[in-house]
Amino acid sequence: MNKLIGFSVDHPRLVITLTIGITLLFAAQLPKIKTDTDPKNMLPITSPVRQYNDQVESWFALHADVIVLGIWNEEGIFNSQALRRIEAASEAIVKIPGVIARDVIGLATVEDVTSEGEILSTRPLLADIPATTEQMAAFRQRLLANPLLVPRLVSADGKMTALYIPIEKAANGKQIAEQIERLVGEGKGSEKFYLAGDPVARDTFGAEMFRQMALFSPLAGVVMVVLLFVMFRSWSLVFTNMAVAMVSILWSMGLFVALGIPIHIMASMSPVFLMAISTDTVHIFNELYFRFPEVGRKKEAILATMGAVGAPIVYSDLTTTAGFASLGIGPIIPVRIFGFLVAFGTLVILLMSFTLVPALMTLIREEGLRNHAPKERQEASRATEWLGKVGQLSLRRSKTVVLLSTVLVVLSVAGIARIRINNNMIRWFKEHSAVRTADRALNESMGGTAPLYLVATATQQDAMKDPAVLRGLEDLQQFLEGKPLVGKTLSVADYVKRINRVLHKDDPRYDTIPESNTVIAQYLLLLNMGVQPRDLDNVVDYPYQKANVITQLRSWDAVEARTLVQDVQRYLAAHPVPGVEVRPAGIAYFNMVWNDEVLVGMLEGFIASSILVLFLLALAYRSWKWGLVSFVPLLFTVVVMYGFVGLVGKDFDMPISVLSTLSLGLAVDFAIHFVSRFQQRYRETRDLSGALRWTAARPGKGILRNALLFASGFAVMIFAQLTPYITVGVFMIAIMLLSAVASIVLLPAVIALAPGWLLPKEVSSVGS
Amino acid sequence: MLEVKPEKGILLFSLLAVVLTVSPAPAQSVSAEEAVAKAQQAQFYAGNDMKAKVRMRLLSKEGQQRIRELVMLRKNLPQAGEQRFFIYFSNPADVRDMTFMVWKHPQRDDERWLFLPALHMVRRIAADDKRSSFVGSDFSYEDVSGREVEEDTHTLVREDTLSGRPVWVIRSAPKDERSVDFSYKLAWIDKENFVLRREEFYDKRNELFKVFTADEVKQVQALWTAVRRTMENVQNGHRTEVVFLEIQYNLGLEDSLFSERSLSNLPARWIR
Repeated sequence: MNKLIGFSVDHPRLVITLTIGITLLFAAQLPKIKTDTDPKNMLPITSPVRQYNDQVESWFALHADVIVLGIWNEEGIFNSQALRRIEAASEAIVKIPGVIARDVIGLATVEDVTSEGEILSTRPLLADIPATTEQMAAFRQRLLANPLLVPRLVSADGKMTALYIPIEKAANGKQIAEQIERLVGEGKGSEKFYLAGDPVARDTFGAEMFRQMALFSPLAGVVMVVLLFVMFRSWSLVFTNMAVAMVSILWSMGLFVALGIPIHIMASMSPVFLMAISTDTVHIFNELYFRFPEVGRKKEAILATMGAVGAPIVYSDLTTTAGFASLGIGPIIPVRIFGFLVAFGTLVILLMSFTLVPALMTLIREEGLRNHAPKERQEASRATEWLGKVGQLSLRRSKTVVLLSTVLVVLSVAGIARIRINNNMIRWFKEHSAVRTADRALNESMGGTAPLYLVATATQQDAMKDPAVLRGLEDLQQFLEGKPLVGKTLSVADYVKRINRVLHKDDPRYDTIPESNTVIAQYLLLLNMGVQPRDLDNVVDYPYQKANVITQLRSWDAVEARTLVQDVQRYLAAHPVPGVEVRPAGIAYFNMVWNDEVLVGMLEGFIASSILVLFLLALAYRSWKWGLVSFVPLLFTVVVMYGFVGLVGKDFDMPISVLSTLSLGLAVDFAIHFVSRFQQRYRETRDLSGALRWTAARPGKGILRNALLFASGFAVMIFAQLTPYITVGVFMIAIMLLSAVASIVLLPAVIALAPGWLLPKEVSSVGS
Repeated sequence: MLEVKPEKGILLFSLLAVVLTVSPAPAQSVSAEEAVAKAQQAQFYAGNDMKAKVRMRLLSKEGQQRIRELVMLRKNLPQAGEQRFFIYFSNPADVRDMTFMVWKHPQRDDERWLFLPALHMVRRIAADDKRSSFVGSDFSYEDVSGREVEEDTHTLVREDTLSGRPVWVIRSAPKDERSVDFSYKLAWIDKENFVLRREEFYDKRNELFKVFTADEVKQVQALWTAVRRTMENVQNGHRTEVVFLEIQYNLGLEDSLFSERSLSNLPARWIR
């Protein structure tokens, strides 16, 4: 390590040139970047839920990605111009590349099965748009009385219609949504259009994500540059700090891109993480500004500085690396990629701290340092003095500090008990964003934008022609439609009931499942002759062994879906459909499983990482006691943060699960700096309270600066358009401040309370 | 069930009759429109009448299947283009005795009737959509009964050979795009016997979506007949295989057979 520092100090230009060269090599890989913004891919293709979903889609000719277009007209859609525009919109939409034209479902693409006396009529619903007012009124009345249409295709008030537009797997939902918007916008009517559905939300998020990253990462960088300068009045420090962050971001991203690994949502946040982790420079410069006046000569000051902060830097960086790398052991691939990416980036930061940073420091002119040092002393004296006082206070009132912290922790534990692990992609958008507005509008008027499939599988073929089975499905649907979450259900039973009624001159008494298998079988053949085969394929398979109850949910909330699925399971246990097993599938069910597997997996990974970090800390200090003490800030930060999340009723969602891992990097970092520097000081002075005060004041200042710097830098994210980034901003501030306070205030108090326990004759040393 | 408008149709038919009787080996100079008309004649109007057992296999992408077995009776009426169809379902068991009758009219909408034996119910069916699926298969009504030659613009794309047979490849684009679900189709018509060997349907984005193939063609009572045919939907992976068995032409089917009475009471000899 010393050789590395020595070499860098002796050959600064060579080290800098080499670093720039390697960085350019990595940066050259970036244009090859592959992104994957589909949260679905967080679960591997081989996961049971994805495989079952694929199977269900294939059994029932369904599509994974369906855009829902709502067309709303104040005057109602039942006038010939509005209907004609709806028809024209459908015609235009099926021509968009990526749209699976044959399976677009809307008023213009379904058959209307009606009876006119003895005549059974089937024709495309919009084949003859009524010409007169009376005919239109009759048409309206007829459609609004058809349970196959309301509220799936027409809203009960007749003001909105929905089109379900499946798109190919490789197609981009946002781009297609934009094309649809352009096309339907050309209709020049008075309609309002709403575009919702999983592919729209997901791909809009994907596109926005990178835009927001591209906007807010540099913005955070700029704010930090300004603050760094305000704090240290040193462009060299500002430049060095930013250079280290850039190098680590470019090396790690470049490496992963070069390896052909796709960048997922989580990995896209890694630049922010690496910026936050790359704080070594602040600690190094913080120490150099104290050392230089003491030593007087630049080279010696640099070597002395590195000697003092080298050990804590190595240990904090290695612990952070291990913490993130341990995320890489879990089962969820994007979490693994994220873990390894940040771990590698942290190692790059470590390497830079011993090469690039000393090299750059060597190039600072001595006058610059000399001019800076007094300024630093003078200006910072107030802060140092204040921090010293804080240290003293927490020493004198150590019991109070520990007691208060304990109370806070206990309160937080109560909050943690109330935490709800939940994810809802729609809430990743702001309240008044187009995506959320559209989803709300459609869920208010129409059947619901989140599809859940309840797949009934019988042991025998032709089971779906059995009246008892169809009645069982009918009852299940009635149960489902009694739930506020469910907007609409559709099954083969609905088609059979409909045709039964229509064949009996639209007599409502025949809105029932017929008594015999043969009647149902003959109805089904008749339906095959009348409606689009696809409409039946969606609800019953070829051998009539499986049926699909299409259940439209009005919310994307994973916890609500779970409650419903549990209710259905309870209902089916009490009212089984004879000979039939019912299993959930579809995107709404997938989200529920995703929620459990990804978020719980993330949480477990985080707990495992924390335990690993505890071990590493104990190993680093060769002492369980010191390991535990340095673990205190991390524990405190995490517990208080989660407790707050639970108390304010915010869901534990993906952004929070990712963010919690950041506390691994920061809280531990602060604690190691504090404890190591305290131990060094204590070894030198043998004065407990003096050493604690000194540590709170001097390295503590580095910690506080560090925390303030990043808290302010990431505060800009509060202005982001996507709520996960707002969450990142808010929680970054919380993590920074909490872990800084835990290190500067709580740690001295804990150490002061148990000196006998912690400090035997000889303090074990931390050294490289 | 080719619907031919009288003014043009009768002329065309007389022309066809002349061509067919005079020269079985056709002239190479035949126009695209003529070739299509002859192919329609060979496919949908062969003989004066016809009876066949038809076995349809509907296959899903996953290879799951639905079987439909039916007896088909057809009679051409003296008026040009007028036809009568009678379909009797024999299998699966739960739809046995269901019958379906079509009176094909060249000038107006077809008349259709359906009989549901389980309810002993006869219903007239008004359906003006020829795009809709024929009994749930990948064939549309139009694929089964023919499409008016005048509804499309036909152009000869090239002369070619297909499985060793000389063919014309003809492109047909609808004059009114709203009435159909294809933007154009390509037909491979046998130059010697006018059998439609292959047909490709292109959707509104000009992407291939359906392919018809005549898998086995043979002479039955000197009439060239595709006894095995497949329609494959290349977009959703569904496929329908059709086999014609026990084909008989010119049996002298009575007009009275094609009546509402027969729907519920078809003489047994016609369904054996």
